[in-house]
Amino acid sequence: MKIKELFLKPYSKYIWIALMLVAWELTAKLAPVSPLAFPSLELILTALIDSIINGDILMQMLFSLGLILIGLGIGVALAFMMSFLSVVSPVFASFTDTCVSIFHPLPGIALLPLIILWIGTGSMAILFIIVHSVLWPMILNMTAGFKAIPEVYKKIGKNYEFNTLQSIIRIFVPASLSFLIAGLKISWARGWRAAISAEMIFGASGGIGGIGWYIFNKRVFMDTAGVYAGILMIIAVGIFVEDVVFGQLEKNTIKKWGVA
Amino acid sequence: MKKFMIILSIMVLLLTAGCAKTETAGGQKTIRIAEQYGIAYAPVQIMKAQGLLEKNCPGIAISWEQMNNTAAIREAMVADRLDAGFMAIPPFLIGWDNGMDWKIATGLSSVPTGLVTNTSINNLAELSEKDRIAVPQPGSVQHILLAMACDRDFGYPQKLDNQLVTLSHPDGMNALLSGGDVTAHFTATPYLEKELATPGFHQILSGNEAFGGEFSFIVGVTTKKLHDQNPEVYAAFNQAVAEAITFIKDHPQEAAVILSDAYDLPEAGVLAYLSAADTEYSQTVKGLQTFSDFMLKTGYLKKSFENPTAVIWEQTDYED
Amino acid sequence: MKPIIEICGLGKSYEGRPVLADINLEIGPGELICVIGASGCGKSTLLNLIGGFVKADQGEIRLNGRLVEKPSRQCIMVFQEFDQLFAWQTVRHNIEFALKKAPERLSHPEIRSRADHYLAMVKLSDFGDYYPNQLSGGMKQRTALARALALSPQVLLMDEPFGSLDAQTKRELQETLLEIRQETLATTVFVTHDIREALYLADRIVVLKAGAVAAVIKNQTRNTDETRVAEITALLSP
Repeated sequence: MKIKELFLKPYSKYIWIALMLVAWELTAKLAPVSPLAFPSLELILTALIDSIINGDILMQMLFSLGLILIGLGIGVALAFMMSFLSVVSPVFASFTDTCVSIFHPLPGIALLPLIILWIGTGSMAILFIIVHSVLWPMILNMTAGFKAIPEVYKKIGKNYEFNTLQSIIRIFVPASLSFLIAGLKISWARGWRAAISAEMIFGASGGIGGIGWYIFNKRVFMDTAGVYAGILMIIAVGIFVEDVVFGQLEKNTIKKWGVA
Repeated sequence: MKKFMIILSIMVLLLTAGCAKTETAGGQKTIRIAEQYGIAYAPVQIMKAQGLLEKNCPGIAISWEQMNNTAAIREAMVADRLDAGFMAIPPFLIGWDNGMDWKIATGLSSVPTGLVTNTSINNLAELSEKDRIAVPQPGSVQHILLAMACDRDFGYPQKLDNQLVTLSHPDGMNALLSGGDVTAHFTATPYLEKELATPGFHQILSGNEAFGGEFSFIVGVTTKKLHDQNPEVYAAFNQAVAEAITFIKDHPQEAAVILSDAYDLPEAGVLAYLSAADTEYSQTVKGLQTFSDFMLKTGYLKKSFENPTAVIWEQTDYED
Repeated sequence: MKPIIEICGLGKSYEGRPVLADINLEIGPGELICVIGASGCGKSTLLNLIGGFVKADQGEIRLNGRLVEKPSRQCIMVFQEFDQLFAWQTVRHNIEFALKKAPERLSHPEIRSRADHYLAMVKLSDFGDYYPNQLSGGMKQRTALARALALSPQVLLMDEPFGSLDAQTKRELQETLLEIRQETLATTVFVTHDIREALYLADRIVVLKAGAVAAVIKNQTRNTDETRVAEITALLSP
């Protein structure tokens, strides 16, 4: 059956998206809905193009992505230190376990009132929320990954007289890479959401602000098409990161190695 | 193929189900009102506590919807889940500008507003690029007042736009008083008074200075649907607001008891706010034209009105 | 000739249960020793003790007269597990990584040519750019052997490396191992439970039974006929 096969291909995501867009356009055009709630695709695309040409949406996107990258970097580095120490020291492991069980279920946004008091409302505060969202899932994945490293690899490390740094770089990281990538994916998704939510609350404290601020601004000035334009950008970036960035990363590492 | 069609039709069903809404049939005596808290909304609370709507329209079914910001009220009205709400003039104009079918039904209040900073800053010019200014949200009356002052002082209304931080009044107060990067807060009663009572903070700009006169801080807005299809309810709504305002003026002590109960605030404090010199409850809409002209000139609005009746229901008092 | 490995009064217990007791053994340079025994007789433990991976409770092991306390590059272990290769590196890089650790600080072309040399030795010259998951079990073990040889260790420890292979592949690898031995003269301690394998490979066969050396058999003839197998089987049975 040809239609069925169409939806089993890797690109089936894009067919679904196209179908949803058609359903959207039909609803906007034919159903008795207010354009303030349900703008047509033309309105949304016009708003998007206008924001790209005349506005700051691309800069705001880059600003958000930049924040995420820094936050991911800090979060991953911290998670790495804590996970490695946990693998080496059972005492530290119990400390890490405690921290994870306390902080992992805590949404960064719930900490917001405290963050305002501690570090204010600037990019540092958004960064703090991103690091918080990234750190705990990353630790969970990293410790699981380190524990899953086959004993034989560790023996080989000893046999070839690797020092600690060499065993981290040459054995621990590559041997647990499938866990690290899974952790990165979760962290990215959580960090991205946290960043946008925080931006929607804090506004342009860094200057032009991020994509969350763009959406919030469109909301308060009642530019519904603009709100959808911002959401479209977020979806596009999400798909890009998932399919292209992580897709390529996996293709060139764990899938190539046959350890996925 | 058959399975595919079934899946598709289920999807269509789900999509359309999301658009169904609870219709309020015209003629039925119902009203859905946004309920908000604060001294500036005092008549709304009195109206609710005293049952003034019920008195003026026997048999009315009232649904009080708790809302905490203007954007939410606008969105609820677009979704036809709300008939009446209270807000400042700028966010109302933004909604009207974008095609919302609503008009101002009544003025409600003028309360003290102002920009509070730490005492190391003495005027707008001394706010550096590092200073962050907390406002409830862009497009709020606080933001527009700040833009008006910037326009007058520097000829550049957007001068401070990139330094705004969106924080609710209590969060904004905490951020200011904690001495972090938020060094200024454009707020209103009672946060204004609390901040000014804290050593090390003072007001560098009042709302009236920024505006260049008096203006309605909060007005009551209703949809065209309510106004046209339910004239009886609409009239009762206006009458109830009028009676609530009169009650506050005539019986400030009793009003303070009701409000202190509803807001969980000390009675004496509420009474002081109600009877402050700058606090005035009035049905007259003030400052509409000035706001509109300014916002049009500075690009916050795309269109204006020739006659105020385009944005105010008939029989509503206004002055400029 | 002076022995390269001296094992003296060696004993090891796990949780109070003795696994090895009073093992005494000398292994000469270039010798290929096969250690055989039923499973659980302590042959793997003996190998891990020689490699320095576990610590002895009694006695001592000397490598070239120096006490063995921890694993070292002088004494490389080849494991039974197919996943002992680093999955994230090609066959060539699995071998080169060992060479990069060589104490004599080899230059890049030297590393390459040595890797080529050992790849050829284990007959994998055409597979240098393959990832381990693209290789058969036998090829993986060949790679592991090449990686171990690349550092020219004094001693090669082999823990049933061909134990999971089919008979045909196993025989090929045994032949390769014997050829390599001709060339490198590496001292080898080879643990197996396969009597024929021991008879085919070993200079001497050490028979372990219940944690003690039951016999040490000279095997100059490399005769794998049934009488010889039966002879050793008799030694293993209780």
